[in-house]
Amino acid sequence: MPLAVELRSITKRFGAIVANERVNLAVERGKVHAIIGENGAGKTTLMNILFGLLQPDEGAILIDGVPTVLPNPAAAIKAGIGMVHQHFKLVQSLTVAENVFLGMEIRKGLFIDHRAQSERTATLSKQFGLEVDPNERVGLLSVGIEQRIEILKVLVRGARTIILDEPTAVLTPQESRELFQTLRGFVSQGMTVLFISHHLEEVMEVSDTVTVLRLGKEVGVRPIAGLSKAELIQMMVGHAISFDRRPRQKAKGAAVVEIRDLWARDDRLLPALRGVSFDIRRGEIVGVAGVAGNGQAELAEALSGLRAPSHGSILLEGRELVGRSARDIRAAGLAHVPGDRLVRGVDRHASIASNILMGRQDALPWSRRGIIDRSYLTRRTEALMRRFDIRAPGPQSLVKSLSGGNIQKVVLAREFSTEARFLLIDQPTRGVDIGATEAIHAEIMRQRGEGRAILLISVQLDELIALADRILVMFAGRIVGDLDAAGVTEEELGLLMAGVVPERQRDVAGIA
Amino acid sequence: MEVLGRFFNVFLIAATLRTTAPILLVGLGGSFTTKAGIFNIGLEGQMLVGAFFAVVGTIFSGSPWIGVLCGVSAATALALAFALLVVTFEANEIVVGLALNILASGVTISLLKGIFGTRGSIFGHGLVGLPIVHLPYAREFGWFGQVVSGFTPLVYVAFLLVPVLNTFYRRTRLGLHLRVVGEKPEAAEALGISIVKIRYIASLLCGVLAGLAGAHLSLGYTTMFTENMSSGRGFMAVAILIFSNGDPLKILLGCLLFGFSDALSLRLQTSGVSSYLVLSLPYLVALAVLFALSYQARPRLIRETAATMARAVTFQSKTAADDLAASKG
Repeated sequence: MPLAVELRSITKRFGAIVANERVNLAVERGKVHAIIGENGAGKTTLMNILFGLLQPDEGAILIDGVPTVLPNPAAAIKAGIGMVHQHFKLVQSLTVAENVFLGMEIRKGLFIDHRAQSERTATLSKQFGLEVDPNERVGLLSVGIEQRIEILKVLVRGARTIILDEPTAVLTPQESRELFQTLRGFVSQGMTVLFISHHLEEVMEVSDTVTVLRLGKEVGVRPIAGLSKAELIQMMVGHAISFDRRPRQKAKGAAVVEIRDLWARDDRLLPALRGVSFDIRRGEIVGVAGVAGNGQAELAEALSGLRAPSHGSILLEGRELVGRSARDIRAAGLAHVPGDRLVRGVDRHASIASNILMGRQDALPWSRRGIIDRSYLTRRTEALMRRFDIRAPGPQSLVKSLSGGNIQKVVLAREFSTEARFLLIDQPTRGVDIGATEAIHAEIMRQRGEGRAILLISVQLDELIALADRILVMFAGRIVGDLDAAGVTEEELGLLMAGVVPERQRDVAGIA
Repeated sequence: MEVLGRFFNVFLIAATLRTTAPILLVGLGGSFTTKAGIFNIGLEGQMLVGAFFAVVGTIFSGSPWIGVLCGVSAATALALAFALLVVTFEANEIVVGLALNILASGVTISLLKGIFGTRGSIFGHGLVGLPIVHLPYAREFGWFGQVVSGFTPLVYVAFLLVPVLNTFYRRTRLGLHLRVVGEKPEAAEALGISIVKIRYIASLLCGVLAGLAGAHLSLGYTTMFTENMSSGRGFMAVAILIFSNGDPLKILLGCLLFGFSDALSLRLQTSGVSSYLVLSLPYLVALAVLFALSYQARPRLIRETAATMARAVTFQSKTAADDLAASKG
């Protein structure tokens, strides 16, 4: 039987950068084939070539054993390949069925046959276990359902091979589980799934075979059966790394941060934080888990003075922070690693040294009588670049020329070199590869050891479990769980994140 | 009462429909570009060019219908220039729109001088307007018949286009694709819908209706061409488009409001009130409505604050009750 998809010796260059170098990929029909690798390993480039979005400089594409040229996505769709992108492309004001059939509408005379489209959508969703209401408007639906619609779009176009680019990044663990069931359903119906991820557990759970890419090269193809997580990491990174829970002593210090009944609104003026209260002790890492959009972003903004709370109090060592400006709050002892480093973390167009200086340009010893001490700045920046392993030619290198992981390290280097007692760390390793993630985790643990109070907001549950002492789970603007991070499972967290309060919790809360 | 009766009667309704038609036509034209995600402030210029060439075409051919055709062609040509600059060359749509408006004003004034040797306005010269349509059986429907009969044909076209466009956006493929290109271009692109093609179609359709609006202005609404005779209607249409988001029914409502105040101001002119004050009435009404619409955001904030506080109170009393239950249990 011919392979569903075969890529032979694919090379793709962007200027001087080689994104894919003689990569081979052989995907058997009826299998879930994972492609893993760190950021910049060339996974997405390879898939974009297979979907006709990019043209390879060298190499051949074979579909069902036939050499094929894919000049554009339309040709790929015709060849039976479908792609579910990381960022959904749905039209909010249209219904599910309208979105599914967009661009290939069923028509009766001049008009679109809405009924036939709804019926076809319903049939397909039943056949593949992708439950949706065809007549619902997309704007009202959750991310998990949006993804189902994206998959339906691919199916209705007759795809037999489906590419999913980081499909679980936006899902809760439960939604991911459902997605995996759907994918297993696909392969049992003779379809082929290509699954891009850098999440190892998922790859091990759902796929049959895995191809590992590193720095644009293919470093191995293995059946999942009999492969361990440590082996996979070693293949991805090139050396062994452990992401187990970090050993620690229990934090017993006094509360540094006290948050009481905090309320805030989101940008649409709807309540996003509803009565949040908790403490953070000296030398304690408090993790915040939750599906994106449940108030974590607003919590970070409220704590850092970027969003005015509508009610409540935030005490940092007994001093009220509510009502103060972001600058005052930083002066009072907050260091903030923002969730989106390119928006609030750095000025991309400035040098590393300028970014390190930002926020303390008026303070000794960085400047004297309004004049910046250049030589001190250069020395400090060089020292920080060494300590945080920022890989760049020198302090004057522009931040925009760095990789995501190195940009994040610049932010950490600035924020962790202050005297702040309270560290607010939002998504420290978003889009950062495994090697850099390990270094960032080690640095966070070091900050903990220095007795700082740390609030760690992350969408990666394994990160929270590895680092946090306690994990708070946010749902719909409230804290619905406060768990000891030692011994907690991702399943427990996932249920809370989905708003399901388990029996045990309810008893504790005293709701008789 | 008698005084009021003099102003508010069947004739006022008829006058409203008459004054609504030109702005409705150009507004519906703008609906295409608005839906396709183009902010088109070139409506004014397209309308003006349409009005001028409708007059030129009529004078040289003797037929107002050929005049309409000329007006529409000229406006569409201007729309094509707009699309070329904005869609193909990705120039800033405001700059291009403004430039074309100024160009339209200048070109019509120069050509007026060049062709007819006059400034200000042109009438006579064998200029004939569009015929008036007397609906059959209109007399049998009493006052309603009086209201709806006796307009020039483009008035009927304008009002009939409202349901037509509504169906177009809801039920046809092109209409759906127009909306998608405006709302989520990356979705359109991913599904092989050409954004450039759709935006060209939208711009040209807009030009056609703006041209009809212009032709109506110079051959139906009046039978003459005056310098800058579109007198801000294109800009009013832009304002209505912003608030209606290009929905045909909302455009109709907005245009009726403007048309009504326009008709009322014409009526008041005969009553001895200062004509300058009266002529500004439609614009004042439009401003007031726009202000009212944006003011809506404020009560919402107050409403929500109240809701949050109510929730806070119930939440606290609930937790207090829970604490009580827990201490007893």
